[in-house]
Amino acid sequence: MPAVITANLPVFLIILPLIAAFILPTIARRQRLQENLLLVVGSLGLLGAGYLVYLVMHGGISSVYQMGGWPAPWGIELQVDNLASFFLLVVALIILPVFLYSRRNMAEEVGSREKVARFYVLILLLIGALAGMALTNDLFNVYVLVEVATISCVGLVSSRNHPLSAEAAFRYLILATFGSALILGGIGFIYIITGHLNMGFAAQELVQVWQYRPHVVWMALIFLLAGFGIKAALFPLHLWLPDAHSIAPTPASALLSGLAVKGYLICLFKFFYRVAVPFLLQELAIDKIMKWAGLLGIVLASLMAIRQDELKRRLAFSTVAQIGYLFLGASLMNTRGLSGTFFYLASHAVIKSALFLSAGMMISVTGKKKVSQLAGIGKKMPVTTAVFTIASLGLVGVPLFSGFVGKWYLLLGALDSGDFLSALVIIAGSVLCAAYLFPVVRLAYFEPAEIKEAQDPGIPQKLALVFLAVLVVLLGVMPGIVLELANRAALDLLTP
Amino acid sequence: MRILLEKLLINYPFFFAIILFVMGAFTVLTRSNLFKKLIGINIMEGGIFLFFVAAGNIKGGAVPILVDNPGVTYINPLTSALMLTGIVVSVSVTAFALALIVRIYKIYGTTDARRIAEMRKEVKERCQQS
Amino acid sequence: MTSLILALMSALIGVLLILFIPGENKKLRNSMVFLSVLLAMAFSWRVGLMIFAGKSIGLEIELGRFVWSLRPDPLGAVFGLIASTLWLFTAVYSFGFMGNKERQHTFYAFFLLALCVTLGVAFAGNLVTLYLFYEFLSFATYPLVIHERTPEAMRAGKKYILYSLSGAGLLLVAIVLTYHQAGNLAFGARPILEGLSGPGLNWLLLLFVLGFGVKAAVMPLHHWLPSAMVAPTPVSALLHAVAVVYSGAYGILRVVYSVFGRELAGELVFSKIFLYFIVFTILAGIIVAIRQDHLKRRLAYQTISHLSYILLGAFTLTPWGLAGAVFHMISYSTLKITLFFCAGIISELTGESSISRIKGIGQRLPATMVLFVIGTLGMIGILPLNTFWGKYYLMKGSVAGGMWPLALVLIISGILNGVCFIPFIIKAFSRERTQPAGKRGFREYALFIPPLFLTITAVIMGLWPGMVWPAVQAVVEWFF
Repeated sequence: MPAVITANLPVFLIILPLIAAFILPTIARRQRLQENLLLVVGSLGLLGAGYLVYLVMHGGISSVYQMGGWPAPWGIELQVDNLASFFLLVVALIILPVFLYSRRNMAEEVGSREKVARFYVLILLLIGALAGMALTNDLFNVYVLVEVATISCVGLVSSRNHPLSAEAAFRYLILATFGSALILGGIGFIYIITGHLNMGFAAQELVQVWQYRPHVVWMALIFLLAGFGIKAALFPLHLWLPDAHSIAPTPASALLSGLAVKGYLICLFKFFYRVAVPFLLQELAIDKIMKWAGLLGIVLASLMAIRQDELKRRLAFSTVAQIGYLFLGASLMNTRGLSGTFFYLASHAVIKSALFLSAGMMISVTGKKKVSQLAGIGKKMPVTTAVFTIASLGLVGVPLFSGFVGKWYLLLGALDSGDFLSALVIIAGSVLCAAYLFPVVRLAYFEPAEIKEAQDPGIPQKLALVFLAVLVVLLGVMPGIVLELANRAALDLLTP
Repeated sequence: MRILLEKLLINYPFFFAIILFVMGAFTVLTRSNLFKKLIGINIMEGGIFLFFVAAGNIKGGAVPILVDNPGVTYINPLTSALMLTGIVVSVSVTAFALALIVRIYKIYGTTDARRIAEMRKEVKERCQQS
Repeated sequence: MTSLILALMSALIGVLLILFIPGENKKLRNSMVFLSVLLAMAFSWRVGLMIFAGKSIGLEIELGRFVWSLRPDPLGAVFGLIASTLWLFTAVYSFGFMGNKERQHTFYAFFLLALCVTLGVAFAGNLVTLYLFYEFLSFATYPLVIHERTPEAMRAGKKYILYSLSGAGLLLVAIVLTYHQAGNLAFGARPILEGLSGPGLNWLLLLFVLGFGVKAAVMPLHHWLPSAMVAPTPVSALLHAVAVVYSGAYGILRVVYSVFGRELAGELVFSKIFLYFIVFTILAGIIVAIRQDHLKRRLAYQTISHLSYILLGAFTLTPWGLAGAVFHMISYSTLKITLFFCAGIISELTGESSISRIKGIGQRLPATMVLFVIGTLGMIGILPLNTFWGKYYLMKGSVAGGMWPLALVLIISGILNGVCFIPFIIKAFSRERTQPAGKRGFREYALFIPPLFLTITAVIMGLWPGMVWPAVQAVVEWFF
């Protein structure tokens, strides 16, 4: 690889989807070309992210990328580290199947063929923003990227051709903007007391000044927690999520549930672990808030999921519960807990995308939205249902599937900090998860068929589903590189 | 008490910023009219913008245009620049929200969140039939 | 090592083959099932004999950060032998029992899958592998429990899977805690937690016992077992009297002897408290059984009672107690499954399943009832039958461990077993309703031959207990 490409790879990964987002509207009428372009972008992204992971793991790239060659604190930096490359890899792994899935499949959900291009533009903007979130090392850039992501997410929700979509999108927009305002406020507090927008410099200052202004630091962290909490659907702040994620078009639901909420989480982790230090969080009792919100989220959101009859709503509530795991894991403040959190994040991204895509396929083929109406679908759509089943096993945390590895490390982390209650709740969450996912599988396979005519989707969709299912198993059997990256990222964050 | 009041007098822009923020937040959370919610969001963001700009201000500081005069204290231009971006974001969000309100109005015939919540079930059934 | 893999694979390949056999070809499918069970049994015997001869075989694969290992020790080999041997008998019985019933493909596919998973439980070489198979056992047997697809079966299945998954969840916490404390999960000659101490281990033991106790149906965790009797009789016989519940009992034996080790387990207060629960289960189980009218439910409660015999042997922590537990595991399974088979024959051929309406069945099905009587005597533990020896060693172990009241409990339980079934037998042989038995065909033979063979085995084993002694001795020597 020429050195120019290698050196500029991080920024390339951010601008690649953005450039594609600008090209797409110009070829809005040529659907084939659009879709091929998307596949090219997806594959290039995956290649790039994979190569970046390789470079980062072998120390082949400088960990700081200076935008425009300006050194910090004047210029803007990208932090090319384990966490960033890890999240980029996750993003790239999810978007490729999502692009495959939406091939020649979107017109019905977004209304007309002309609107498909706009839908793709929004997806590309979202991906660009997520890649930026993974890499950025600048406080204000976080805000801008979060806004870009938020607007594209809301746009994706409203793009569904459905009478309820506008309202769900509006509610999402209002709450998310509320969250953005809180985030901006939090950034403002940090800027005022540290005088820096660069995370590294701000962290150096913060360690020294927090004792003189503990209230300001506390306010800043609470504002950030609340702001990102709204966007990442931390338990009591999740009210917008079930509507928005269940109404969005299927590929968008997969992206929103699988990736978008995690992007905000990664940003929050950057604030909490890179700008602040774990010790500070404990001193200001932020970790307690995270832990209890996580615990409550796991239990209560799962209970609510059990009561939902609409399949996509059930999955949306399940996302809220799984986000609880991530907050819980992050509050444990130890390496194994945090690396478990990161691995669980990747695992949930893959699993939830697989669940949403397969569920969405069942719904769009049969026209039945409710779990109870999907009896006997296992025989009509064997591939789709098999993928759903594998993903369910993964989410429940059965050994040999990806969720198990994540839960294993989360449990070890909980025990490392002597937190027995959390360990039990992690397990209770698994049982509850089985209680809301397995009935779907049982109905699909062991009940007499109600659905007359249904069949598996076309080859691109099948490929996308199988790709994700294979990932679920692969991450469970050979977590190797991903686990190693998660581990290193956790170590990076915990050892300043 | 005196110290507190003195601090407040020196930092009065922050005081107003907080009042604006709380007013906005209150409006968003309590009003059921969608337009009022949107205005609330704007007021809230206004509070944040004021907060940032005030943070960059230095009493007696000059406009940050570099002249060869070493004795001059400049105000911090960075926060103002950041808030330009913030205002642009806020404008685009507002425009987007207005477009969504138009769509909602076309479906429900109202912009009142409570009535929309009542009608939601009805609309849902209607769309399932069609 | 090859035999080890082949034992598991032959069942698994059987599943795949069945899935590819087109709809109606019953003969081909049945012979396929028979063949794969036979192969699985042959290979597990080979493994078992090698283990008893003192060889160590096994394989470890490291995937990710987990070591998945199959490395049976004598205890696992005994369990594997019991399971695979009885599976063969049950397969033959199922050919008769399932006759022309519906959904047979699904039935046999999961039947073989369950065999594979049970062998996995038996041969697992560390706790993670054990957990893997233990969890999959629930999934593999769930479709068998709900085979009838009636609302009642569905409810029972829900209960079963909920209990199992909750138990498995607690087990996972226990395993992670063990790993956290010891940094090692492999079963070896030395217990995993050796050298550790502290009151916290009590809670770890509690978690383990709760986790495995669900499947071993220790009261008060037993509710799923009687409900699960709605499954077809071969399933109830095999899974809910032998394989599934044994995997729980086997797990507890493992925990006591391989994870904690007998010295450590002896020091823990909780292991003494569990004895009370076990005694309670032994007595309460059989007392509740007396009050059941449905024949299979009565057998189910009796199972609950008898499983705790094994646990009692485990918790006496003496060589004789362990020998009794292992011996009881072997002998009890042969006769209990016979009882279930007989109950199945009665309900299949006469359509009766409640005890109050069963008068005169002895005239109609004399041979079946003779086997039933022998099985009952076995439950009581009378001399020419193999269960006597199990009970005898258990008592010896209790006395050797200084816990003579336990021996008394076993005797009382034997008497209660008599109270439980003797009135029923008398009723069955009273002259009320006499109808000539129908013509005998393949179905009747398939139903009758497995219990017959098993009863003969039980009698022979009772007369010459030495024939299973090498296995029992190997287990005891392994742990003591």
